[in-house]
Amino acid sequence: MLKNRTRAAAAALMSATVLLTACGGGSGGGGDEELTVWMLTLEPTQKEAVEQVVAAYEEANPGSTVTVEERAVDAHKDALRQVAGTDAGPDVYQYWMGPGLGGELVEAGMSRDLSDYYDQYGWADRFSEAAMSNVTQYGGMMGVPWVVQGEGLFYNKELFEQAGITAPPTTYDELVAAADQLIAAGTTPIEFGGTVNWHVMRLLDSLLETGCGAETHDALKAGEADWSAEACVDDAFTELKTWGDEYVNDGFMGISNDESSQLFYTGQAAMALEGAWFNANIAENGMDPSTVGIVPFPTGTGRLYGFAEGFYVNESSDRADEAAKFLDFATSTDVQQDVVGAFSPLSPNTEVAPATGNPLHELWPPIFDEATGLYLNGDQALSLDATTEYWRIQNSVLTGGLAPADAGAEFQKYLDANA
Amino acid sequence: MSVLDAARPARPAGRPRRDRRFLRALPYLLPAGVLYVWFLAYPMADSVRLSFFEWTGFRTDEPLFVGWRNYSRMLTADPVFWTSLRNSVVWVVLSLLVPMTLSLLLALGLNRKMLGRNLFRAVFYIPAVFASITVAAMWRWIYNPTLGALNQALSSVGLESWAQQWLGDPRFALYSVFVASVWQGVGFTMVLFLAGLQQVPQELVDAAKVDGANRWHVFREVTVPALRPTTVVVVILTIINSLKVFDLVVGMTGGGPAQSTQVLALWSYTQSFSNHQFGAGGATATVLLLLSLVLVVPYLAWSMKEDR
Repeated sequence: MLKNRTRAAAAALMSATVLLTACGGGSGGGGDEELTVWMLTLEPTQKEAVEQVVAAYEEANPGSTVTVEERAVDAHKDALRQVAGTDAGPDVYQYWMGPGLGGELVEAGMSRDLSDYYDQYGWADRFSEAAMSNVTQYGGMMGVPWVVQGEGLFYNKELFEQAGITAPPTTYDELVAAADQLIAAGTTPIEFGGTVNWHVMRLLDSLLETGCGAETHDALKAGEADWSAEACVDDAFTELKTWGDEYVNDGFMGISNDESSQLFYTGQAAMALEGAWFNANIAENGMDPSTVGIVPFPTGTGRLYGFAEGFYVNESSDRADEAAKFLDFATSTDVQQDVVGAFSPLSPNTEVAPATGNPLHELWPPIFDEATGLYLNGDQALSLDATTEYWRIQNSVLTGGLAPADAGAEFQKYLDANA
Repeated sequence: MSVLDAARPARPAGRPRRDRRFLRALPYLLPAGVLYVWFLAYPMADSVRLSFFEWTGFRTDEPLFVGWRNYSRMLTADPVFWTSLRNSVVWVVLSLLVPMTLSLLLALGLNRKMLGRNLFRAVFYIPAVFASITVAAMWRWIYNPTLGALNQALSSVGLESWAQQWLGDPRFALYSVFVASVWQGVGFTMVLFLAGLQQVPQELVDAAKVDGANRWHVFREVTVPALRPTTVVVVILTIINSLKVFDLVVGMTGGGPAQSTQVLALWSYTQSFSNHQFGAGGATATVLLLLSLVLVVPYLAWSMKEDR
């Protein structure tokens, strides 16, 4: 009896040890070839693609294991903040590459400079110029590009035709004229959901790019220009108010982007300002993708609205070599060719052909080819607290609580007080 | 005096009895005490400490002592603090007026013998069982400007002009969230009042009636005084729950539109965990703590004094 109890206790102890070892993860536990990768929550097709990449890597590298942990947006941000400077973090993590998000982690010392690996694997030649600009912006080589997302106006061809619009707008004036024609035809020109601030923010960002031009817009977002002194800022907020009052779906401030997107899928709104991920959403929500067109927001600067996501190697990881080896594999031409389309129709790897299978995928390559660069989403360009204030001002203008002419000064006041 | 002293048996030398009892109880109190200090007192004190620092929350970032700067910034340059303070105060006042009154009326009504009494009690209590995030999702649909039940109901009775953007218009958003809060919270308070009503001495009620008191007099002179301990608990719980309201606001508006439904608890969280400004978040949390103490402690002291 005693022996049995001793055996049971020993077995329990061993089980607990195994369990604890398995749960340890991160850079502190497991064998030398075990990598932990933290990613944002994956859609089913994305999950399948990631599992495919991991399985292929493990097969090609016997003894290596890659554990992928997924988290929702806020949980992902919180988890990375909490593990900064500790050995509890992952070896590799996915993150947005803009200064407001990725830049914060670079500043916090959470990103390893991968210059040596860029030389070793020749990555600088692998990725597009747009993708590489996100890597080099902080000095050194920070992160490996995974996705470059373009955003533009998705439009319902039938509703455009019914309103007498013969060609998609290529200038801002044409866009406003198209919106007027849609109103005259009894159609809501564009849909937004205001409860998620970043959805309407896309319109404001694009109006700032349109009104201020690329250089001034970048300077404003970088805090190098005065929001209260640029007339184009007043113009952009005035236009924002006009769009909110006249062209955006009724009651948009009280619904989310998921709810407002239904208006587009069901033909109740003619346009949506979305990213390439919307290709799949359209098909999944029962809308025929062939009835939809995509055109960049006609800012007149030639730049495309968009952002990049990449994989960063944790500075605290003691498996940087293995991490680089895995990232080299994951972004290689053959592997990317198999999974392109799951995250974006275009791979940051220039040798990978665009995704097929959805007619909308084919529309993106020429849009990227014609773009002279990217202008970032506001929440990626601004710091976290400035983004919160940017959204407050945007929404105050839209709901009539703040005059458009006062918006720039209000934002500058905040920036000055928090400099 | 000396006679009395002489008559009293001699007390054994050493610690007084009360001290010895405390020492004997200490080992039993210690685990709970440690847990209380570790999980409640320390985080509160640390939050106050953090309010004097500038810190992003990253371990790699050394907190920088800034003295009162977070407080001065909060009072003079934070565009949301005053809105959130005002909303929190409005929420407390409304919570003390509306759901408390409603729940007392419901409790009085459902304390009488009537058909289906237990069913009605259950019906009114059920919303209190739902998770706040579920309540938020449900009411978001009710308030949906195009498909929502409220606007559709108004349209169906010819009141289209009354239809509003209940959550999208800063003039209505806070009150719309509050209605959902009342729907969810009134059942719990009703149960507290029902429990209190069971303590009202029937013989006093009968005596008052014999003396010629009408219903109103019985309520005012017998029921209300007997409900006093329950009312103290309800008021304190209402104040505390109102000040820390968070989940319903997050679920229904996220503090928007344009931060118009922001409240102190959510703004403190937003500053700390979304904006990565733990010092500013700590300052807001400290104001919330002080406000709670200012509202609850005097009321508690007053009610205890009255009880004596």
